[in-house]
Amino acid sequence: MLIETLIAVTFVAALVVFLTPEAYAPQVAFALSLLPFVGSLFLWTRFDASGNALLEGSTVAFETQAQWIALDPYAINWHVGLDGVSFPLLVLTTVLVPLAIMSAWTPIQERISQFYGLILFMEASLIGVFSTLDFFVWFVFWEAVLIPMYLLIGVWGGPRRKYAAIKFFVYTNVASLVMFIGFIALVFGLGDSVNSFDMPAITQALHDGQLSGFAGLGPDMLALVSFIAIFFGFAVKVPIFPVHTWLPDAHVEAPTPVSVLLAGVLLKMGTYALLRFNFTMLYDVAATLAVPIAVLGVFSVIYGAMLALAQQDLKRIVAYSSISSMGYVILGLVAFTVYGIGGATFQMVAHGLISGLMFMVVGVIYNATHTRMVGDISGIADRMPITAGIFVAAAFGYMGLPLMAGFAGEFLIFLGAFQSTVLPGAPLFTAIAMFGIVIVAGYLLFAMQRTLFGAYRLETDYEITRAPLHDVVPLFVLIALIILLGVDPDIFFTMIQDAVDPLVELGGGL
Amino acid sequence: MAFEYAPLIALLPLASFVIALVAGEYLPKKGGLVGMAATGGSLLLSIWAMLRVASGGFYDETLYTWVAGVGEGTLSLSFGLLLDPLSTMMLVIVSLIAFLVHMFSLGYMNDEGETGLPRYYAGLGLFTFSMLSFVFADNLLMAFMFFELVGLCSFLLIGFWFREDAPPSAAKKAFLVTRFGDYFFLIGVVGILATFGTAQFAGEGAFPQLAEEAIVGGETLFGFPAGTWVTILGLLVLGGVIGKSAQFPLHTWLPDAMEGPTPVSALIHAATMVAAGVYLVARMYGFYALSPTAMAIIAFIGGFTALFAASMGVVKDDIKQVLAYSTISQYGYMMLGLGVAGYVAATFHLMTHAFFKALLFLGAGAVIIAMHHEQNMWNMGGLKDEMPVTYYSFLAGSLALAGILPFSGFWSKDEILYEALIAGLENPVLLAAYAMGLLAVFFTGFYTFRMVILTFHGEPRSDHAEHPVPLGWNTKIPLAVLGILATVAGFVNMVPVAELTGADITYLSHWLDSGPEQLAYSTYTATAEEFAHIHHAELTPLIPGAIALVLALAGAGTAVALYRGPHPVAHTDKLGGAKDVLVANYYQDEYQVWLAEGLTQRVARGADTFDQGVVDGVVNGISSVSLLGSGRVRRLQSGVVTNYAALITTALVVLLVAFGIYGGWF
Repeated sequence: MLIETLIAVTFVAALVVFLTPEAYAPQVAFALSLLPFVGSLFLWTRFDASGNALLEGSTVAFETQAQWIALDPYAINWHVGLDGVSFPLLVLTTVLVPLAIMSAWTPIQERISQFYGLILFMEASLIGVFSTLDFFVWFVFWEAVLIPMYLLIGVWGGPRRKYAAIKFFVYTNVASLVMFIGFIALVFGLGDSVNSFDMPAITQALHDGQLSGFAGLGPDMLALVSFIAIFFGFAVKVPIFPVHTWLPDAHVEAPTPVSVLLAGVLLKMGTYALLRFNFTMLYDVAATLAVPIAVLGVFSVIYGAMLALAQQDLKRIVAYSSISSMGYVILGLVAFTVYGIGGATFQMVAHGLISGLMFMVVGVIYNATHTRMVGDISGIADRMPITAGIFVAAAFGYMGLPLMAGFAGEFLIFLGAFQSTVLPGAPLFTAIAMFGIVIVAGYLLFAMQRTLFGAYRLETDYEITRAPLHDVVPLFVLIALIILLGVDPDIFFTMIQDAVDPLVELGGGL
Repeated sequence: MAFEYAPLIALLPLASFVIALVAGEYLPKKGGLVGMAATGGSLLLSIWAMLRVASGGFYDETLYTWVAGVGEGTLSLSFGLLLDPLSTMMLVIVSLIAFLVHMFSLGYMNDEGETGLPRYYAGLGLFTFSMLSFVFADNLLMAFMFFELVGLCSFLLIGFWFREDAPPSAAKKAFLVTRFGDYFFLIGVVGILATFGTAQFAGEGAFPQLAEEAIVGGETLFGFPAGTWVTILGLLVLGGVIGKSAQFPLHTWLPDAMEGPTPVSALIHAATMVAAGVYLVARMYGFYALSPTAMAIIAFIGGFTALFAASMGVVKDDIKQVLAYSTISQYGYMMLGLGVAGYVAATFHLMTHAFFKALLFLGAGAVIIAMHHEQNMWNMGGLKDEMPVTYYSFLAGSLALAGILPFSGFWSKDEILYEALIAGLENPVLLAAYAMGLLAVFFTGFYTFRMVILTFHGEPRSDHAEHPVPLGWNTKIPLAVLGILATVAGFVNMVPVAELTGADITYLSHWLDSGPEQLAYSTYTATAEEFAHIHHAELTPLIPGAIALVLALAGAGTAVALYRGPHPVAHTDKLGGAKDVLVANYYQDEYQVWLAEGLTQRVARGADTFDQGVVDGVVNGISSVSLLGSGRVRRLQSGVVTNYAALITTALVVLLVAFGIYGGWF
């Protein structure tokens, strides 16, 4: 019942904040957001999962499985539980939300209760996404994340917020639809071998070769078509080239705390789902498509980095660089080695923290200067030394500086990808993707040189003052966590390996 | 008592970093004294570790598991210490220079009333920590990680004066250029781990040993014959070496890095960043010695860089610029030595260079303070009598740099050239490398004494030169210590004297030959002979030594002849068109800046246009088509968010109720 409690508490917290008077909403929201955080830490102390939640022979932590709605022929189950892949992402969510809420205290000045209510509503749905093991319920949570995000961008966003919000919503909804059709076709193709949307059961049936034809497609063809449909659906969320263009618009228009959660957690829904569905359920199809997927991943790395290099808006720079970082994750997944997939999972957490931090730092600068354009500001290290110092630390974290979390994730991915036996020419793919670490250094160093250093100059009519404490505290917390995970990646990586290992063994014969 | 306190060698400066960063503002000397205490402690512990090694100790332990492999076939990644003759010697050098740089900084930074000093001392502490950790790393991954941190620290310190335009730009360039090299290094690290399953430098199953076994066994690795694959991996790692040790063509960051405070330059050039590259080759020498191609490339790049950089040093007017090019050139010599299997010679030069280059930079720093931060040598002159301590120590450093008997640089550079010659007599590529190295000796003598004469001799050519600012103890002590070392450090390995007298006085050779056999000098030489086919001709060291000395004296003499007298004039115009090329550094910066900014920016903008126009254009196109069709439904789109929320809620409720009825709840 622990996961249910966690989700319920977060939903109730969202409701309470909705009804809280504006004046107290920020503090109340922050205090209530600590409940899921503390809850997830409590779960950690009792975390006893071993193996992969979708595969046989595993122990799923905090598992509940009960029939919810008996439909014929497919029952809908309430099936939740956590393993070494989902738990780190759950912690990431519950850590980032309180910090994002605190970072909203300065910029969010209207419809305050509703804003924080929606954030908590989204958190509850996110916890659901990462802990649910029944497809139907999972899909409800998956879609439920979209609604608050749509409103958060559309109501509290920048000047082009409507365009960005609708683009985000339509784009991801179309993607969800395609994914849904692809997956349902797969379930129908399994015929009588499954009688629910239970994900472990479906995985087992697929691995046992129970797939028969559907809608005129043979089993292999059906698996391939479904794989592509599902991949497309999640690729939009990640995002992978060429379905990434909603991302920069959404980020630029979204207020800082929303960007933090969008980059920090929402993108990871895509990579998490790719791992669960495409690379676990249909790992054999993934292996046959290894080269095209790796091409997409590697291309996203370089392409996203090149786009970031062309931007003048600090937020756009960080937004495009997310595309680049997510390309590494794809490479790690497709490599299908313990360090490849494990590194990819670790990178999800690491990038969640680092990109969240980058957006927060940019937000703090924006709060003070009311501009994010590289050309409008220079030398702010003179006026905001602490913020600038954190900017430098965050940027080097993003560049993959050793002893920070990003290096651990990227290095493990590179190591795993280099050794891949699934991917032909793996060393070459890896070497090309690694060039991303040079380009990322390029654009972040250029951005820092122009905005932080040099003589102080500001093109807007604002007087820079020191950032308030509640702007800076989340930055320090994140830096500390990033260094902690960089020095001791095994905090998460041990459990990640534990969940990834049986999966890779499954594909051992590939 | 074994080596259990050895990790403190690096952890003390880490502590000083944290203390200076957090509380530097409230500490005496803004954290400078804490830094001195920490690096002083590191120095004592390093000496102690060296003594332990000298009495037969050896330490190679994994101390911290960074990532533990859980399943089958996954390797563990760890941190550990490797304390052997090479690493302990380097630890002493690094901590000594770091200690003296801290002391000197009290004069150079504190007494000059700089702001941001806690940041400065924090940077120095982190820099020392990173370099010391790099030096005693027991595996290549750990070495890479601290190699990168060294790069970060150089960024922070080169860009220390961030309010000006040039330092941040130089800092960015230093990091970016070395990062480009580190890209190859990282591939190499990943490749070595993926190939051999380990990155350990020493011990049973260390990667150089596994590589050797693979070559002997005729294995195929990643589709290549083992020898070819080892060469590829070695060259990839070499990318990082070329970047950090500022070898051609990645040397361009180093002259710009002179924008940093001068004590930082001393640290970067003598003991940390630039030394890291060459040290890395020495650290994994058992691996390089397996590859004839890699060795030849190391030797050739080294010889070429030695000459190439020395030629540019000839026309520089800024005292720090002259020293910058001399650094590039001197590290070229070390590479040359390593490439011709002159392991002891290269390590020897790494040590002597650390002393005399730190000395020269600190001496230049002293001059710069005295001159109110004037760096152009044409505005100096006549400082000899006003600043005797600086002058004599600087002169000792210059004689060492120029390679003049009996100063330290003579012995080490001479040994490198000797090794290069005897290897070159058996191999024309190495002979070409030797020839370039030899020619560079003349240039070195020339630019060094041009610098000495212009700075200290003649009549003062500005007001500041007439009335230099007096210096304190904190600048004089480091100069004196280093001056003595630059003079005498060469006596530890006087090969020609040993040859002449037959006395057994090549102490450094013996030192580097002690310790475990796997890491011993004689093993490396044997490996290089067997696998890299580097053979040594029989030749007495006396004649090549004499040639080098004559060339150095000729270079120095030419400079003295051209620039002596009370009012020297510039002779660079006599070089004609060559002068422009040299002043412009062979246009190396131009093409690299074009690559980094011109070309890359254009491609980036092209990609951006493509992304906005084509990729996003398609998306928007699809949506406008569907919008056209959905004009009727438009009335629903009221634009009022609460309406949307109401609609969504209603729909959800209806759906739930429908499901509830269907599922038999009611």
